[in-house]
Amino acid sequence: MEALGQFINSYFLWRDPMIVGAFTGAICGFLGVYVVLRRIIFVSATLTQISSFGVVLAFYLEVIWLAIFSSLFGPFAISLILTVIAAAFYALKRDFSRISREGVIAFGFLLASGGVIILGDRIAKGAHDISTILFGSAVVVDPVDVYLIPGVAILVFVIHLIYFKDFIFVSFDTESAKLFKYPVRRLNTLLLITIALVVAVSTRALGALPVFALLALPPLSALYLTENLKLVFIFSVIIGILSAVLGYFFSFVLSIPTGASIAVCASIFFILAVLWSEIRNST
Amino acid sequence: MTELIKLENVAIGYGKEVFVDSVNFSIEGNQFWGILGPNGSGKTTLLKTILDLISPVSGNVLFNNNLVFGYVPQNEKFDPIFPISVCEMISMGRYSRVKPGSKLSRTDNEIVERSMDSVGIAHLKSRTFRSLSGGEKQRTLLARAIAGKPDILVLDEPTASVDIKGEATIMELVKNIQIKRKLAVLMVSHFINTVSEFSDHIILIDKDNNMFESGTKTELLNKESLDKFFGLNLNLNLRN
Repeated sequence: MEALGQFINSYFLWRDPMIVGAFTGAICGFLGVYVVLRRIIFVSATLTQISSFGVVLAFYLEVIWLAIFSSLFGPFAISLILTVIAAAFYALKRDFSRISREGVIAFGFLLASGGVIILGDRIAKGAHDISTILFGSAVVVDPVDVYLIPGVAILVFVIHLIYFKDFIFVSFDTESAKLFKYPVRRLNTLLLITIALVVAVSTRALGALPVFALLALPPLSALYLTENLKLVFIFSVIIGILSAVLGYFFSFVLSIPTGASIAVCASIFFILAVLWSEIRNST
Repeated sequence: MTELIKLENVAIGYGKEVFVDSVNFSIEGNQFWGILGPNGSGKTTLLKTILDLISPVSGNVLFNNNLVFGYVPQNEKFDPIFPISVCEMISMGRYSRVKPGSKLSRTDNEIVERSMDSVGIAHLKSRTFRSLSGGEKQRTLLARAIAGKPDILVLDEPTASVDIKGEATIMELVKNIQIKRKLAVLMVSHFINTVSEFSDHIILIDKDNNMFESGTKTELLNKESLDKFFGLNLNLNLRN
C-alpha cells in the first residue's frame, strides 16, 4: 500500500511515460494481430532491431562530428527511414531463390543487433543510452513523444479503419484479392509501412524489447480468448494497454527495468489466456 | 452464345519455362468445362492462367468485358490461424464489386445472406471457417463464389476433401447453381467419373508430354484419349 501511495504521489514522474506506454500498447496490440496472423512475428522483431540501429546510428553520427547530418534528420528520422526501407523490402520481396524468407529475416535481425552493439560501444555517453533504446526506461520520455506517439497511433488507427476489410482480405486470401484486381502490393506495403512507422516511433520512446513484446504477445493472448476476429483486435488492444501500464507501474514501484517489466506483464496475460482457454475447452 | 474467355496460341508455364504450348479454346456462357490430367500435369497452372493470376509465357488470354469470376479454391489453402467466420468468408465474395476503402452496403449484406441460404449454410454463419467439415467448407466457398454474382464459376478440385456422399451433394449443388444462374463452369478435378457426369466440355492436359486437347465430352472421353493421357485401359459408358 505504501508503494502504491508513493507511486500515486509521484504521478508527475510517470504521467508522460504512462501516456506514451498506453498509446504504444494500444497501437502495437492492434497491429500485432496482423503480425501474428500473417506469421511475420520475426519481421516485427527485425524491424524493432533496425529501428534501434537507426537511433544508435544517429548518436554515432553526432560522435564522429557529423552533427549537422544528425541534427538535420534526428534519431527518429534516421530510425524511421531505415525501418520503412526494411519494411518495404520485406513487403515487396517475398521470394528468395536459394534460401527461405526466414533466413533473410534472421540476416536483418542479426546485422541490426550487431550494429547496435558495435556502434553503441563507440559512443562515449553510450551504455546507458543504448540500454534505454533496447530495454526502455520508466522515467525518461522525450516530451515530444507525449504528442508524437498518440498522434501517430491515431493516424494509423484511421488508416486501418478505412482499409480494415482490405488489409484482412489481402492478408487472408491474396489469390482472390489479385483475382478481384485489388492493389495487393500497395495494400501490403501500406500495411507494413504503418507497422514500420509505429515501430520506429515507439522503439525510440520505449525500447526494442517492449515494442516487440507488445506486437507479439497481446494478439497471441487474444487469439486464445475469442474466435471472433473483431474481438481479437479489441482484446489485443486492451491487453496491450494493460501490459504497458502495469509494466510501467511494476517497473516504478519495484525498481526493475521497464522494457523487461512490460514484456513480463504481456507474458503473464498470455499465460492467463492459455489457461483460460484450456479450462473453457475442458468444461 | 457469348464467348466469355478465349485462349489464342497460349503457352502456359512459370517464368520462361513452358509447360504446355499451343493452347487454344474458348468458353461460352452456360457451358460446363472439366479439366482433367494426371498429378502435376499443369491443371492448376492452366486454371491460374485463365484466372489471370499468372501471365502466359506467350499468346493471348482474352476476356469478355467486365467478366466476373466466382472462384472456389481448394479449402486447404486457407491458413487456419485466421478466426474468419462463415459470414465474413462469404462477404469476401462481394469484394469483386466493392472497391478498396469502401464498405459493404446493405444490399451487399442481403446478397451474402441469400447466398448462404441458397447453399443451406445459414445456420453456420457465426461458426469459424476453420471449424467446419470438408463438405461445409466447400458449401461456404460456393456461397462466397456466387455472392459476387459471377459470369463464370471456377472450381479447383471442389470434391478433393469430401467423402463420396459429400461429393455427390456438392456436385449436385454446383449443377443446380449453374442451371439456375445460367453460369459457365470451369472445374479442375482428379475424378474422371465426376467430370464425365457433369461436364459437357473437357480439357485434357499433360505437361510431361506437352499434350493438350479440348472439345466436347463425346469427342474426348474415350478409350484412346484416356490411354494417351493417363495410360489407362478403360471402357467408358457415358451418360448424356
